[in-house]
Amino acid sequence: MTQPQPPAGGTRTTPPTAGLEPERAPLATSDGGQAAAALVLALSKAARSFSLYDPANAVVRQFLSDYQQKAQLATAGTPLVLDVLPFDLLREGELVYREVDRERSLAFKLFRDGVRRLTFEPEVPWAELLAFLEIVAIRSTGIRQQEEDLATMLRKAEFGGIRVVAVEGFTPEEDNPEPEERRRRSGQGARPPAGFDTPFPLLPPPGPIAFRSVPEEALAPLRAEDGPEALVHNALRLAALLLHEAGRGAVAPGEARQFLVEVRDFLIADGALAALAALADLVARQPAGELREEILRALGDARVLAAVVAAVRPGTAELPPEAARLLPLVPASAALDLLATEPDEGRRAVLVRIAEARLPADAEAVVSRLSSLEPAAARGLVQAIAARAPAWAAAAAAALLEHQDVRLQVEALKALEHAEGDVPADRLLRLLRAGQEAVRIGVAQVLGRRGQPSAFPAVEEALTGRRDLSHAEADALGRALAHLHQARSLDLFARWLEPRKGLLGRLTGGRQEDPLRWAAVAGLGAHPAPDAVARIEAVAKGADDELRRHCFATLARRRHEGARHG
Amino acid sequence: MDELTRAQTDLGRALGRARAGEDRELAQKVREGGEQLAHMLGGLLKLTRTHSPDNHAFDAPVAEFGRSLAALGELLGTVHLVTVEDQVYVNDIRIRSEGKAGSKDLGSELRRHNTGGLSFHGPLEVAQIRALVAGLAGAGAPGAPRGSLAGWLAEQGVGSVELTGIYRFQTTRTDAEAPRRDPGEVLGRLLELVEETFENLAAGRVLNPLPLRRSVIEALEAGIEAPAFWLAFPDCPPHAAHAVEVAMTALLLGKAARLPSGFLQDLGIAALVHDAGYLAPGVGEGAAGLARHPVEGARIVLRQRGFSEAKLRRLRAVLEHHRDFGDASLRPSTFGAILRLAEDYSNVVRLYGAKVTRDAALGAMLKAGGKLYQPVLAQLLVNALGRFPPGTLLELADGRHGRSTAPARGEELWDKPLVRLLDPTTHRPVGELVDLARGGAIRRALPG
Repeated sequence: MTQPQPPAGGTRTTPPTAGLEPERAPLATSDGGQAAAALVLALSKAARSFSLYDPANAVVRQFLSDYQQKAQLATAGTPLVLDVLPFDLLREGELVYREVDRERSLAFKLFRDGVRRLTFEPEVPWAELLAFLEIVAIRSTGIRQQEEDLATMLRKAEFGGIRVVAVEGFTPEEDNPEPEERRRRSGQGARPPAGFDTPFPLLPPPGPIAFRSVPEEALAPLRAEDGPEALVHNALRLAALLLHEAGRGAVAPGEARQFLVEVRDFLIADGALAALAALADLVARQPAGELREEILRALGDARVLAAVVAAVRPGTAELPPEAARLLPLVPASAALDLLATEPDEGRRAVLVRIAEARLPADAEAVVSRLSSLEPAAARGLVQAIAARAPAWAAAAAAALLEHQDVRLQVEALKALEHAEGDVPADRLLRLLRAGQEAVRIGVAQVLGRRGQPSAFPAVEEALTGRRDLSHAEADALGRALAHLHQARSLDLFARWLEPRKGLLGRLTGGRQEDPLRWAAVAGLGAHPAPDAVARIEAVAKGADDELRRHCFATLARRRHEGARHG
Repeated sequence: MDELTRAQTDLGRALGRARAGEDRELAQKVREGGEQLAHMLGGLLKLTRTHSPDNHAFDAPVAEFGRSLAALGELLGTVHLVTVEDQVYVNDIRIRSEGKAGSKDLGSELRRHNTGGLSFHGPLEVAQIRALVAGLAGAGAPGAPRGSLAGWLAEQGVGSVELTGIYRFQTTRTDAEAPRRDPGEVLGRLLELVEETFENLAAGRVLNPLPLRRSVIEALEAGIEAPAFWLAFPDCPPHAAHAVEVAMTALLLGKAARLPSGFLQDLGIAALVHDAGYLAPGVGEGAAGLARHPVEGARIVLRQRGFSEAKLRRLRAVLEHHRDFGDASLRPSTFGAILRLAEDYSNVVRLYGAKVTRDAALGAMLKAGGKLYQPVLAQLLVNALGRFPPGTLLELADGRHGRSTAPARGEELWDKPLVRLLDPTTHRPVGELVDLARGGAIRRALPG
């Protein structure tokens, strides 16, 4: 890194702004100087416009057009020679450009990179002017660009109509060099182990050597790695190599991830959809696990979504196979954002599928948007989360517990039944008083499945506090009690099944207690007590037809579940 | 599509490639993050006027500085903070300093140590930040303040922070004369640069390929067939000498294969850093190190952020430079195959040169073509190095001894090298150069 001393009086006192406000007025007065100044200004603006606008923007087009016109004028008839100083560009000694802010200064960038003179031949081809602009723009906008500088890029371009004089091995002069520094730094530790590159591979006995001409066609495969196709191939090959190394722990996942993100961006910039799909395939082929999920999370990019959605024919939910391969690269969040505004039914279905395809990598993003989605989409996604990202099922279900759509609530509760991790107990218990029976039954099933003893009183209260319970709800609550607390539930069931004696018993015939008896039978059916079957059979003996049928059904269910669970 | 629309599309694509891996709002993030970093560093230095750096008053700002640096490092790889009078730049982006004395005074604080900037090659732990602050807040050492501070910081385990000088750009065109291209000077600069690069990489810094590229270009333009590039480099550490030997052989092969100039430049850089993996801590010795250093080298290359064709080629070359051509599933790239051949040639001479002549070594490698080596490249290596590869000890028909000094000068002169004569008693070069193309003959090649 180097620091120029700006010319006296030239220091800016205001911060640079991102805009393209007119730069310092050039000082040229001659016709040629003014034409040169106009060209340099147009070049500088066009180059920087790419950091402010999308390349397809009309403003960029305007800058390009201006650059083209000014170049034609400035190079008409005679060569245009520009001498490069740290902050200035001169034409025949006349100042045509000055900018002292090194972030903005074209002259500074050229000078620092070793360029000392630029010569534009008359009527330099537009293709070369464009390539020149590309090089300047890359240096102006690529912040991490450190592979090449202007001198090396201009040299590599091998222009015919633009000549470049650059100093070799340019290093700026230091104000106060410290000659001891290198010697002190030397030997601080850059020593490879002794015996590096050994053992040496076993070679065959030497044979004779002779000069043999190598035909051009034999050389062609060696050069095949130069060019756009080879670049894509190389990028994918390296992605595979690094994933392999990351898989065996030789490369940190973060290192592989960063590289793959760079490859993805390159392929997006190039519009190389087939290669992007190949990248997605490559990641998808990795063994399931944290590495794959981490890479998938990192590779999601909203820019791929446009390509995928564009491939869906309106009115259909069909995704061409090539586009389907890109799905792993589309972040669920972008798909769900678009879902909120997408009117086409087919595309909506595709967007849901995209979000599903990103599970489990994007589970968090999906969960965070569930409550704002329409019920059908949310329902599908909850099912997908339960199946493909069970660690997030509890959070997904929790997000929908109070949803106004009952079917969705029930779906959420089903997901919660099998979910890993904690469930929101307080909210569940509140839902035991929900207006919809399906929701209440769902809650009872979740509570029973999760077996949290602290929920026992609330479930008991739900049973004893209401007289209008349906058999289905009583059944679910009774089974929940058995799962929540074996000893307390057994006592309760015994009490509820006790035949009523006396006047009240004779008057009611036990009917008032129906829900409780129903629940007790169901609960015994799920209870592990050794005499649970005998107790149910005893109840059946003295029961009316309906309760007796319930007893037999419970026993059958118990046998079935027992057989299922061994 | 009209001319301008096509231009927009092409330029957009090229810039997209150049910025691959960069966040779209990267510039703004760097400006904001850099501003925070510079102000906090300035603030920390100010705080040393009232508190010692190990005081609890530093706890929060040091932690904050560490987080800010880590975030910027995540974005940029290497964070270059440069001061120019009262201006501060982070990776060439100017930092606002109006009304914020912290960063505004940073330049004067650094100048005490004859330092114009700091390059952070990695995140810093709390203790490292305290050490950095303590070092910067101290008085400049007499004589070589920057070097002294750099040494002290390295001792404190802050080697990943590089102190850069205060540079000045001449305002007149005094250095635009014809460039010097003496091969000996070019080689000297190259060796020095390789050594410095290895020091930087060993200190955990990010590879900076640009100076290497410039040096490779210089070497190519000076003519890599020049004898200066094929002499032994006795004053140079073995690993740097090995890197340059491999690079020269690789470039020679690349030229023989008529690879394009950009390809050659990239090949040269890859060759210079191909063994960087040996600098990784705990890489191991012998077979363990041999197996592990390519992937460690790749990890070092990966420290450099951003997408470029050159980085890709370099990565593959480093990863694959010990792979056998005959193994179809792991067949190396052209770069990898060239490096494999160039490195094995360098190694066979280094390890067995005392017992085996160089042409015999080439003969064995040629026979291994198709199995260990890409066969076309193996023949190209034979063609390029000549019947008597550079450095071969020769007994001339007239009884004098010498060493061949340069690669072959084409098919006709393939077995007629330039020979540097040796003193018969000391076996040291005596300076006289004999061109066998003009007469004379070789009796035999000798090991050694």
